[in-house]
Amino acid sequence: MLSVSHVTKYYDTVKAVDDLSFEVQDGEIFGLLGVNGAGKTTTFRMIIGLLEPTKGKILLNGKPIDYQVTDTIGFLTEERSLLTKLTVLEQAIYYGTLKGMRKEKIEERLDYWLNRFGMSEYKNRKIKELSKGNQQKIQFITAILHEPKLLILDEPFTGLDPINVELFMEVIREFKEKGSSIIFSSHRMEHVELFCEKLVILVKGECVLEGSLKEIKKDYRKKNIHIIGDVSIDKLKEVPGVLDVQNLANEIVVKIKSDKEIDDVFEVVKKGKNVTEFKVEDATLNEIFLSKVGEAYDK
Amino acid sequence: MTNKLKFLVKQSLDKKIKTKWFKIVNVVLLLLLIFIANVDTVVSFFGGDFNEEIQVFVEDQVGGYDLFVENLTNMASVMQSSQKYAIEKVNDISEYKEGLKDENKETILIQILPDEGNYLKANVISYHEVGMISLGVIQSAINTVKETVAISESGLSEEEILALTSPVVVTTEITNEEESENKEMVSSVVSLVIILPCFFLILMLVQMIGAEINDEKTTRSMEIIISNVSPKAHFLSKIISSTCFVGIQGVLLLLYGAIALFSRSLFTSSELISSGTVTSLTSIMEIVKTSGVIDLLIQGLPFLILLFLSSFLLYAIVAGVLASMTTSIEDFQQLQTPMMLIIMIGYYLALMAVQFDGAIFIKFVAFVPMLSFLLSPVLFFLGQMTLLELGLSTLINIFFTWLVFRYGLRIYKVGILNYSSNKLWRKMFHSLKNK
Repeated sequence: MLSVSHVTKYYDTVKAVDDLSFEVQDGEIFGLLGVNGAGKTTTFRMIIGLLEPTKGKILLNGKPIDYQVTDTIGFLTEERSLLTKLTVLEQAIYYGTLKGMRKEKIEERLDYWLNRFGMSEYKNRKIKELSKGNQQKIQFITAILHEPKLLILDEPFTGLDPINVELFMEVIREFKEKGSSIIFSSHRMEHVELFCEKLVILVKGECVLEGSLKEIKKDYRKKNIHIIGDVSIDKLKEVPGVLDVQNLANEIVVKIKSDKEIDDVFEVVKKGKNVTEFKVEDATLNEIFLSKVGEAYDK
Repeated sequence: MTNKLKFLVKQSLDKKIKTKWFKIVNVVLLLLLIFIANVDTVVSFFGGDFNEEIQVFVEDQVGGYDLFVENLTNMASVMQSSQKYAIEKVNDISEYKEGLKDENKETILIQILPDEGNYLKANVISYHEVGMISLGVIQSAINTVKETVAISESGLSEEEILALTSPVVVTTEITNEEESENKEMVSSVVSLVIILPCFFLILMLVQMIGAEINDEKTTRSMEIIISNVSPKAHFLSKIISSTCFVGIQGVLLLLYGAIALFSRSLFTSSELISSGTVTSLTSIMEIVKTSGVIDLLIQGLPFLILLFLSSFLLYAIVAGVLASMTTSIEDFQQLQTPMMLIIMIGYYLALMAVQFDGAIFIKFVAFVPMLSFLLSPVLFFLGQMTLLELGLSTLINIFFTWLVFRYGLRIYKVGILNYSSNKLWRKMFHSLKNK
């Protein structure tokens, strides 16, 4: 279990992270979200021991972060962190040995993962010769090669096509099932929504929202109503509590303040023609994120 | 952590040595050194205008032809070792004047004529301008003829004339036993064998550390590495591997130098050596031996090894710290320029030490870390620095190296994870306070 407790980090006089606390249980996928400069990378750097918190404590399975603990952490950085002049095998041996692995074990695991990602033929190719997507796969492989107890993934899907995104997700879920704690950061909220159970949203180093995804969505009062049919847009807009009406290609999306407006909207829809769908959904994580981040910036 | 340090050192060293470029460069270095050592032989082998004889026709009206020939040959052997003259006596040079233009080889006509007031005078006629040295040699030979003619007219006996015209034998004796007899030769040997290779090795060392750290920094692989090994271990691995590399390269250069000198003794013909065109390996070794360099080398060897080792480490540390502060190889190259100029200062002062014997400034600089490895050995071999002073210079350098490592590590820890040049120097000075 990872425990981040009241962590604050100053760079000179600039506060990068402000009293941040969260816990990631074994076998849990945790989302650390925020816009650029929100303090995500600083938090990751503190978790892997690159930076010392100015205040607060970070513990992994009850132990403070040191070089023995970091051997059990896998880290995928947002930017490519590969030595491009090395071959895939040399790179794996380099990072694997730094994690305390033996050469034979590294090669055995590398063969497995290269095969799994359909890249066996690239084993002895230089990293600079690979495409961006394949480099990202190699970076991911080097992060999981030692089967980490804590896996930190900073924007893991950058440069990947949908098929490989699915493959990555499958592997991440496997690690979750094996009991690894996973911290995940992405600007793509649909990815976070797909498999994060708990999350934190940071704005200017400060936590503006935290909890389980289900509870966050439940607590967020604004809803979306999806309508398929010929319904008057103007009349929908006139309903009190309706925030916005979007007339999309094959559906109308009505954003409402809370559950209370559902009946009033339904009354307008009943008067329409050819109505085949009327569906009330929770707001998307993207909307929640935009709303919370916007509120925090307004403050 | 020790295993990880060993791994990082090995990894870094392998990256430098187990490459095809290392092998190619070393083969090229060996061939170039062999070429440099035998460059005069190569030039002579291909021939050219320089080894063509100069045809000299002499019209002698004063009876000094034999003396002129003897003097010209002697002078030429001293001043123009590779130049040969074909000298021929003629009755009237005006017969040859017309044909000068058509001569295949350089031809000079000399007319030695009597002169009432000055004993004799001479005319030198040629189609092309006569070279300065050749003209000087001819003039000296004629002057000697004039002196002899003048003396012979003075009524002196033949023995007296011979005694008067023969060169004065000058012998040198230096009573200071510690003073080297061949200072300039010592300086040249030390500069060529020690200073110059060290200069290039330091350049190589600085470039390598800078490139390697910048590579890891710009690719952000530094974050992965530093999350697994301490910055201290990482810094040490760079210093050790780069110093080992230049050590290996240095030994190889010495080996190549020895092979090059050996090749010189193989390829240089005895004819060339006897003609004075090239110097034999034996004669170089003889000069080195008599100059006392070898004895001094044996005495000062422990200090010299420590001085060079600590200096390499010192430059590696400084280069590592500077590289950690920069965010690109271009920035590093700019930042290392002053360091290169410091080495240049040391190099030039080392060369000037022979001319400015006993210069206080040069001796003072010989104790300054980063420069002492260039100056102290030269001053020691020239007898301007005692063994004790060499030891002191070494100790100062070792202490300074330790000090730079201690404080440099603090900058390194912050620098390697810093990607912004904003308020850089403030951040770095601030990091000096962090233990």
